[in-house]
Amino acid sequence: MEGIRAQAALALQGLGRNRIQAALALIGVVVGVGALVTSMALGRGAQTAIREQLLAAGVNVIIVTSGNYQVEQPGATGASPTDHGDLRGPGDYDLPIAASGRFLRPGGPGAVAAFYDSLRIPGQMPALELRPAHFEDDPMAVHDHPTAAQRLGDAMAGLGAAATLSVDDARAIRTELAGVQYVASGVHENARVTVDEEGGKQWFTRLHGTEADLPTIRRGWFFPQGRFFTEREVADSAQVMVLGRVVADRLFGEGANPVGRGVLMWNQPFEIVGVVGSTTWAAQPVAGDDQFDAVYLPVSTVHRLLNLSKLNTITVTTKSAGETTAIAENITELLRQRHGITEDMPDDFTVRTQAEQVLNKGLPPELARVVSGNLSSVDDMTMEQLATSMQRSNRTLLALLVGVAAVSLLVGGIGVMNLLFLSVTQRTREIGLRMALGARGRDIASQFFIEALILCCVGGVLGALFGAATARALEGVLAWGTDVSPESAVIATLVALVLGAVAGVLPARRAARLDPIRALHHE
Amino acid sequence: MALITLRNVSKTYMMGSNRVDALRDVSLSIDAGEFVTITGPSGSGKSTMMHILGCLDRPTDGSYELDGQEVARMTPEELADTRNRRIGFVFQGFNLLPRTSALENVEVPLLYSRKHPNTAERHRRGLAVLEAMGLGGRADHHPSQLSGGQQQRVAIARALVNEPSLILADEPTGNLDSATSVEVMRTLQTLREERGITIVLITHEPEIAAYGTRIISIRDGVITEDRPNPQPQSAALASVTAAAGA
Repeated sequence: MEGIRAQAALALQGLGRNRIQAALALIGVVVGVGALVTSMALGRGAQTAIREQLLAAGVNVIIVTSGNYQVEQPGATGASPTDHGDLRGPGDYDLPIAASGRFLRPGGPGAVAAFYDSLRIPGQMPALELRPAHFEDDPMAVHDHPTAAQRLGDAMAGLGAAATLSVDDARAIRTELAGVQYVASGVHENARVTVDEEGGKQWFTRLHGTEADLPTIRRGWFFPQGRFFTEREVADSAQVMVLGRVVADRLFGEGANPVGRGVLMWNQPFEIVGVVGSTTWAAQPVAGDDQFDAVYLPVSTVHRLLNLSKLNTITVTTKSAGETTAIAENITELLRQRHGITEDMPDDFTVRTQAEQVLNKGLPPELARVVSGNLSSVDDMTMEQLATSMQRSNRTLLALLVGVAAVSLLVGGIGVMNLLFLSVTQRTREIGLRMALGARGRDIASQFFIEALILCCVGGVLGALFGAATARALEGVLAWGTDVSPESAVIATLVALVLGAVAGVLPARRAARLDPIRALHHE
Repeated sequence: MALITLRNVSKTYMMGSNRVDALRDVSLSIDAGEFVTITGPSGSGKSTMMHILGCLDRPTDGSYELDGQEVARMTPEELADTRNRRIGFVFQGFNLLPRTSALENVEVPLLYSRKHPNTAERHRRGLAVLEAMGLGGRADHHPSQLSGGQQQRVAIARALVNEPSLILADEPTGNLDSATSVEVMRTLQTLREERGITIVLITHEPEIAAYGTRIISIRDGVITEDRPNPQPQSAALASVTAAAGA
């Protein structure tokens, strides 16, 4: 131990006597290691950014919808959801929930389709007169806002609204499946919301009865005013409401703070507890977007006021983005089991991942290109495929950066080796003297070897700091996402140490093999 | 008793295709406590003699016993260890490490000691020999801040720090003026008298050779003369005379 310390002291002395060369060699190592750390930080940053944006856009989200409109329907071969376009919006209200249950029980979804077909008069609109008119769902009415059919995607409409999901189903998904992060049950309605004061404005929008977990699922959400409703308010079925940004703007004026004020819906008063806005470019609040042009209530409140017990949707998020497809399959299995569906019968619910919606929500063009370039069909896209193709392109970029950094590190290492060879030549006489005074070959070798290690170790640590600072600066100046990980700094320093060892071996060996007499008389 | 015993030692080099016999069949015995001076013109083989005595080189032929140990067949590592423990070198050009303090210079042999004395121990022993050389106050000075005589005394201190039984001095006064030379010779004589250290000194100057108790002359790799010097030149007297004359 004492021997090693003495050797280290010697090495430091040696470096101290060649300060300028040592400093230059050090700079080489610092730049090399710094480049390595920076490029790794950039690579990780890009990866994190992609992941964050994907999660914010909801790609780890699975939505379970009651009903299964994709099932092939008798008498409507090749029917696609759009065939029911004119029925979709009103679907919820054509039949009271209880009635739809009655139709579903004996015949499943097919029976419902048959029922609708029986209503159809060839060449005409479906029998509108059968519909118990809901004040805002008259398709003939002139609306000053997007109608439900315009607002809602296929998933929300038509047979999809058949109420087959229960609160217990949601609970089962939450408790029985691994890899599930959050589960929020949902009831969705159209609603007219009126400001609770004389001559208050009104706005037709979408209503979501949900749970307090929802904001954690919607990663792209933030609350410019107020908050989301709490578990407690859900438990109490409190008459509280969170407004989407668009609704708040329309009812109370652009950017106004409505928290604490009241609105009316279904002739019931509600207190506004918060406003929800978007943090991501992937989803900007616009009228009719179903997310920020919407109001949120505790699901229990909706159930209480509308005397309902079924759910339209169950929203599930997965812990890992890559597991979405697998968990979606598990959910399907679980629900089939719970609903007692035999093997030969189709699902009475629909499980969808949101991967394809990500594209619709406007990924940056370069990412969209990567995705569509690697996948033949967007419909077939799964989370894994999306993640894989993104990571593949990111890895290519990372490999390039790391390659460049490795070359600069190599150059740094050659600089260290060069310094040491120079030093061995310059100090031949000193080496001879040390040998005369009792130094063995290996003492001399370890002195030079330790010099190389010290240079590269110091260079590695300084380089890691330098790299972290560069990454930070790049983040500040160019607004690139970077992520300096402690591991990358450790890796870079270790690489520098290995480099030092490699660079030190040859000069050290040359020094150790010097003949003491010749070295002593070297001029 | 003999500290050094050379028996039929030869050393042959190849200089290109020429064979050079630097030492031919040399036999020599030096007792502990002797002050032997070896003289000879350049190319006589005295430097080769010095390298072999100093365990820096091994003879081509013959045997060399140092303190009862056969050196001729030692491995390089054993040679290094022997140099470290048994021999103190004093060189013509001092051979101090530049930009390194006197104390650190003196400590160098301790760094290679197989006993690995720790830092405090090294400082203690280094300072002790520096003080013995009258340089206690110069421990922090770098060689460039010391006079030639002081530098050579630092070098002698370095030679003494591992308490060797033999000091090998190779033209130790070659770079010094005559007054300083006398000073160095006095130091060496004192070491012999007070500590009983054996001294082998190589020089080409007859005046310096006269300080030894035994004078050996070498020419063409053969000992031509080996005579005791019952009344060696006294450096103590010489320095007094020099001081009085000044």
